[in-house]
Amino acid sequence: MRTFNIKKTESRVLIAMAFPAFAIYAFLYLYPSLSNVYYSFQRWDGVTKPEFVGLHNFTYLATNDDLFMKVLGNNFRFSFIVVIFQTLLALLFATFLLKNTKTSIALRIVFFFPTILSSVSVGLIWNFLYDPNFGFINAILKSVGIPGLNWLGDTRYSLYAIALTQVWFHTGQMVVIYVAGLQQIPQELYEAAEVDGASRWQQFKNITWPMALPTTAVVVAYTTIQTFRAFDLVYSMTQGGPLNSSDMLVTLIYNTAFSSYKWGYASAQSIILVFVVLLLTYLQRRTLRLNTGEK
Amino acid sequence: MKAKGITAFSSRRFGAVVAVAFALVATTLPSATAAGEVFGKACTTEGISTGQSTTSLICTMGSNGKLTWTRVRLGSNSAKPVAALKAQPGTIEFHHWRPEDKVVLQSIIDKFEALNPGVHINQVIMNSVDYTNLAYAKISVNNKAALFVTSRGGQFDQFYKGGLLKDISSNRYVSQNVIASALTPATVNGAVYGVPYQSLFNNPLYNSEMFAKYGWTVPKNWTELLGFCKAVKAKGIIPFAWPAATRGNAGQIMNSFLMNSAPDLATLTARIAAIDTGKADLTSDWFVDIAKKYKAMNDGGCFPDNVTGYNDTVAPADFASGKAAIYPTGTFGMSTVTKLNPSMAGKMKMMSMITVDTKPLYQGITNNTFILSVNAKSSSRDQSIANAFLSFLATAPIAQEYAVGTSQHVSIINVDYAANIDLLNTSDIMGKKLLLAPRFLFVNVGTVRNPLEDALIAIGGGADITKTLADTSKTIKQSLGA
Repeated sequence: MRTFNIKKTESRVLIAMAFPAFAIYAFLYLYPSLSNVYYSFQRWDGVTKPEFVGLHNFTYLATNDDLFMKVLGNNFRFSFIVVIFQTLLALLFATFLLKNTKTSIALRIVFFFPTILSSVSVGLIWNFLYDPNFGFINAILKSVGIPGLNWLGDTRYSLYAIALTQVWFHTGQMVVIYVAGLQQIPQELYEAAEVDGASRWQQFKNITWPMALPTTAVVVAYTTIQTFRAFDLVYSMTQGGPLNSSDMLVTLIYNTAFSSYKWGYASAQSIILVFVVLLLTYLQRRTLRLNTGEK
Repeated sequence: MKAKGITAFSSRRFGAVVAVAFALVATTLPSATAAGEVFGKACTTEGISTGQSTTSLICTMGSNGKLTWTRVRLGSNSAKPVAALKAQPGTIEFHHWRPEDKVVLQSIIDKFEALNPGVHINQVIMNSVDYTNLAYAKISVNNKAALFVTSRGGQFDQFYKGGLLKDISSNRYVSQNVIASALTPATVNGAVYGVPYQSLFNNPLYNSEMFAKYGWTVPKNWTELLGFCKAVKAKGIIPFAWPAATRGNAGQIMNSFLMNSAPDLATLTARIAAIDTGKADLTSDWFVDIAKKYKAMNDGGCFPDNVTGYNDTVAPADFASGKAAIYPTGTFGMSTVTKLNPSMAGKMKMMSMITVDTKPLYQGITNNTFILSVNAKSSSRDQSIANAFLSFLATAPIAQEYAVGTSQHVSIINVDYAANIDLLNTSDIMGKKLLLAPRFLFVNVGTVRNPLEDALIAIGGGADITKTLADTSKTIKQSLGA
């Protein structure tokens, strides 16, 4: 009986101790998320009383909103490009910077440096680099006889230009994650491979890549989420233009809510965004698990 | 530099141009009554004025094409401006979107607080983009935001619909200190819900020194404008530093394209409303004609190369450094230019951008914005503080401090712009027939105006007119239906 009372008291104390954290979580995350679900079934301009419209916002999104579909496509393309290049570059750099020599550590810092910059600053810096008339990139291209491009002002290039910036911005962060993951691979495996006469490429293919798959899963999932949250960079560089060619779901949702005052519709868009990210992350993890033989 | 410019400035023009600002609501008097007061029986120079008070006369062009003296009548009645109200002690927040005005406004707040012990006003400032998007959400749940600004059109309508705007019509400073015509954007069903503090002029700025050097004159019609572009480009100079990559300022030029695009204001308003509500397409002949003119300017070399990538950091820099002849934004762009190159002070003038070959209906654009309103949801004490501060801002010396310090014309009676040569230099536009910026008649900003402007920008950059307008029209209609 006494033991039972002590346990009961302990559990109350534990609940009480968890309460502040839960309250903050509930106020800052749970409540807004549930509100978002609620408003996704409403027509609401943020001023007048919300009106319940059932699934209308979702059906309209799926059947009548070409812009949403275009932006969804933009986001998939952006995500695909960034995930591929950022992951491969990060793995490549991490492979070369694995040893804890002074040079490697210094280079890791150099690669990581862009990550500590604010995304708006990065956007402004790259705006200058991409300037079609006096930007550094076009100047380099012109110096070797290649005509420059209107990087951010042309619907054909704007998305790729931002993707390149995103890769530059975040590759260093992924290098650090990869370095930590690759350093866990037992050195004996490489030594044994060398004894067997395996080349560097064979070592990479048969040891590094399979052993790095769990880290790759983290990097890929994290990068995917980053690409679906790339608001600041897009907003500071193109605001989604020209003609929505670089619009992402997050910028579209922002404009739907705060420029068009369609809060209910924006809520529905954001719920689709959550499901897209969940689905992509699930598929990526499943693919990588299949490659490692995990079930 | 500025002092030298002012000294060099002709005293006749100095006294005159200041007052021209108030010609917007001028009431015509028989020339016989007015003649002889200062300048003689007949006026010969359009825009010349006898002073800046409500009893001044201004030389204006009548409908018969003759210059006549016109009495300036600025207020809604003939009563003199009143002093500022007294405030009860307390603290309020003042929300606005102009970080560049922070210092000047703080100086004014300090003076107000000194005159009203126990009063504290805290500025809460966002940049204009964030303010457009977030101000309503923030202010609607913050009763301490007793004084705030809105922009003309969609944002003012949103705050009005939300019941956040207090009716301030009964205050004497509203009827006696503010230029009556400037109150229009803040008036709903005869009640005044704010004071549009700034009188902006959204017309292209040109480098008058460069014009004089090359012997260029301001184009008077569409054909001359395209010819002008050719001449300027031949000199290796960018004719129009149009910041197409920055929608906010790139959109200003649309005002000039719209102002003479319809036979009268009622038709223009109806056409804009039809597009704004989805009843008309961008593929209508009227709008296609406007789009064609954007394309013609691009084809005619008026814009810089790769204009859709030309942003509002580069454009004023090119204008300030003499690489461009015209910076097509408005008076609000002058301070940026003089910050980039102080020697530009006194060299900027404002032009009418005429995009028709027929007789233009309007010669320029004005906009009364930065609408200062009292929060209807604040406590009565906080409202009284906000109202008193608003009345303080509406006194001539304070409005003058704001105008000179921020390089903005204001809508307050008896303000003297003498201390800012750029304000003086651009004041002559006010003597012309101006239209309240039609761009802001598109009240569905996110759903209609932004995509519409993006389409015009793309066309100005060389995109196909038919496809761009058809695609954008479809997007607009779908967005309106969501």
